[in-house]
Amino acid sequence: MTTILPECDIPIPQRRPHIVCHEPGNMVLPLCNIQTVPGDMTERGCTFAGCRGVVGGPVKDAIQLVHGPIGCAYYTWGTRRNLSDMKLHRKYCFSTDLTEESVIYGGAKKLLNSIIEAHELFPEGKAVFVYSTCVVGLIGDDTEAICKQASEKIGIPVVPFHCEGFRGVSQSLGHHIANRTLFEKVVGTEEPETTTPYDMCIIGEFNIDGDAWIVKPLFERMGVRVLSVFTGNASFSDIPPMHRAKLNIVQCQRSSTYIAKMINDKYGIPYINVSLFGMKQTAEALRDVGKFFHLEENAEKVIAEELARYQPEIDHYRKRLDGKKCFIYQGAPRAWHWIEPMRELGIETILTATTFGHKDDYEKIMSKVKPGHICIDNPNALEIEEYLVKLKPDFFIGGLKEKYLTYKLGIPFINGHSYEEGPYAGFEGFVNFARDIDVAVNSPVWKFVQTPYLNTGTMEVS
Amino acid sequence: MARSVTINPPKMCQPMGAILAYMGVHGCVPLVHGSQGCSTYPRYNIARHFRESAEVAVSSLAEDAAIYGGAKNLTEAIKNVKSRLNPALIGICTTCMSETIGDDVKLIAKNALVPGDAMKIIPASTPSYVGTHLTGYDNALRTLLETLAAKGEPNNKINIITGVINPGDIREIKNMLRIMNVKSIFLTDISETLDTPIMPGGHKPLLPDGGTLPSEIVDSANSLGTITLCRTAGSAAVYLKNKFNVPAVLDPAPIGVVNTDRFVQNISKLSGAPIPDEIIRERGRLIDSMVDVHHYMFGRKVAIFGDPDIVSAIVRFAAEAGMNPTVAMTATRHKDFAPDIKAVNSEYSVDTQILEGTDLYEFHKVVKTHGAELIVGNSKGKDIADDENVPLVRVGFPVYDRVGVYRYPIIGYNGSIYLLDQMTNAILGHKYDPNKLHQ
Repeated sequence: MTTILPECDIPIPQRRPHIVCHEPGNMVLPLCNIQTVPGDMTERGCTFAGCRGVVGGPVKDAIQLVHGPIGCAYYTWGTRRNLSDMKLHRKYCFSTDLTEESVIYGGAKKLLNSIIEAHELFPEGKAVFVYSTCVVGLIGDDTEAICKQASEKIGIPVVPFHCEGFRGVSQSLGHHIANRTLFEKVVGTEEPETTTPYDMCIIGEFNIDGDAWIVKPLFERMGVRVLSVFTGNASFSDIPPMHRAKLNIVQCQRSSTYIAKMINDKYGIPYINVSLFGMKQTAEALRDVGKFFHLEENAEKVIAEELARYQPEIDHYRKRLDGKKCFIYQGAPRAWHWIEPMRELGIETILTATTFGHKDDYEKIMSKVKPGHICIDNPNALEIEEYLVKLKPDFFIGGLKEKYLTYKLGIPFINGHSYEEGPYAGFEGFVNFARDIDVAVNSPVWKFVQTPYLNTGTMEVS
Repeated sequence: MARSVTINPPKMCQPMGAILAYMGVHGCVPLVHGSQGCSTYPRYNIARHFRESAEVAVSSLAEDAAIYGGAKNLTEAIKNVKSRLNPALIGICTTCMSETIGDDVKLIAKNALVPGDAMKIIPASTPSYVGTHLTGYDNALRTLLETLAAKGEPNNKINIITGVINPGDIREIKNMLRIMNVKSIFLTDISETLDTPIMPGGHKPLLPDGGTLPSEIVDSANSLGTITLCRTAGSAAVYLKNKFNVPAVLDPAPIGVVNTDRFVQNISKLSGAPIPDEIIRERGRLIDSMVDVHHYMFGRKVAIFGDPDIVSAIVRFAAEAGMNPTVAMTATRHKDFAPDIKAVNSEYSVDTQILEGTDLYEFHKVVKTHGAELIVGNSKGKDIADDENVPLVRVGFPVYDRVGVYRYPIIGYNGSIYLLDQMTNAILGHKYDPNKLHQ
């Protein structure tokens, strides 16, 4: 038996299949992508979060209009660190701010007026994204019809996303809904001005703390033309011509493989999975792309330049971090993206967990970890605390909600969702990542967690 | 505001405020009855403001609940929270979803308990399509009292209703009460629960230390009186008055001279305690701090936004300090907001523009027309301050782009000193001729 029931879960034994200890030859994957146990203090969010927060939100010149009561719009206002070179999508929060009256009589008119007004006030918005929240699904506003009517009136695309928070089991369905909506309603609606034999899209790269600004130039230096990044720092106009790429590469393989597959199925464009984190994986991604476009020499040149510049810094951090042990808890893919890069720093990941991983995410984790590694699906606050206390990792890579719990336990922490001081992707980003781990682990602050008078009640006098 | 679309709203939904009210109660676990985002988003918001973890349970409603109702999920959630955390209380917040599908939360909660259960369930109704985070706080607090408060022996204490303020504010009020030798019950008290220490060896309790004891909430029916620091959280005071004859004082937040004077006098009147010299000396230091800076601050245009009690009290304090409050904006409507500011306008011959129930897009327009050399508000004011090239003094909730704001008071005489110093230093630090600062 390789599943585990931690102490805190004794009253909820249905958590057992979600927690496994890796045994080679007897591989069991955690039970995943099913409904959360109610009241288990889950860290999961909702479908709206996955759609608005992750995939739709980075599109910088779309008016991001949340159709619902005020909270859902407020909480997604400039929170995710999906940076861009334009302020519209993070500086402004648009909401229909539905009240009781709309819940009773419907919010259709308010939505239509809101779209028209937002367009008038912000003509720099090249499209309007309309996200439905729980209550909209329950009262049954016909957002498709309203968005169509609004689009005809204002002359720019108005895209409805049916991402009511209660749908599905986690944020994950929201990613899928965003992918499908953008594919069905936007991709292929316009042709690129020109095409080249080296056109490629980077899919599932959301420019967290500037990641896309690091990775995109790597491919451009190889001679590849990046047609679109889906959706980090993307303009709305970057999405329609995605069907004319010669190759798609997929970085976030949980949130965005959907659109790569749909483009492949409809337009026959191949896609390859990449990990643009760490020196080795980034180099491998460049080589894979180089091979596809027959730009192998260019790829090697870029890799050599990058390694010459950044490997010495990585070697420096490796000396300071060698032998450390970590936990990684992320949405899903970064839990496995980062296992190998940690080894480049001499760090072994002894526990991984994901909020909304599917079977393929856990297969990827299990293919990379050592015997005895613990893997948790949809961990809750109590499980995280129990394992932090029991296994005492040297540091924990998680999200903001887990950060301060970890600190109270006296354990160093890295925010893997937004980063501490990113970007973390690519060769250069990995130096930032290594530096932040060094800062976390080797800061003098931790030595004061122990007091000189803990057991005696008096400070020793020297 | 004749717009349908809301742009940059400085307000959140009811569950956010309800969770904060519950987090100020010792051994109380908030349980959101709704979709998972309805707990995750408030948790994120609490974590980034207080730099603390906020453990909140959720019933994880999904499609099946939309059809069959959420009773099964809520019942299971209560059972699981109880069996794993053994809390004294579970504080339920409803959401858009659970209210729209029409779950009878009171009945579900009642059925989830077995006779003789020590744990109590607080069934607050907090749909997000009604009110704001402040009405959510108010509803949760009132439901706490409706569920728990019970007549007993007089306790010689004063109830202090806090509202959405910071740990630093609560500690300052506690300090004033200590000086006045007045016993109190805080409804509710996040000063310890959302400002927790790192303890030796990293040992941490399962639920945070501190907070109002459930027994104190029971006993609040026997107090000498109730004073609100924020009137938006005042329905609990009205409930105690109507149900248990506990006198209620719903006065402006104790920020600045006159409002804090009133607060001190109210405490003295309700408790019979004299106002000691030490309080008079604290007041004197506030006056001294105002005198010290009046040449810098006279006529300075200040625009203020945030929650109504905090905004109207800062408007008055700004006027007391000789400043010129040009705009006062709140997204949460409250009956006392406009009268408070009109009174300041008439007493100090200023012309503060009153914006109520609107958004920061509107606020920015009025700041442009009426001017501001300083903006006071939460972190959401940063872009406006940057666009206008004026400093932003951060107060209220949430403040996530500066550290420690939650630790320091802006309430009471000492808090007012700190706030005025912040405002003055912001002016001095922003394009002020350094030659004029060498005395």
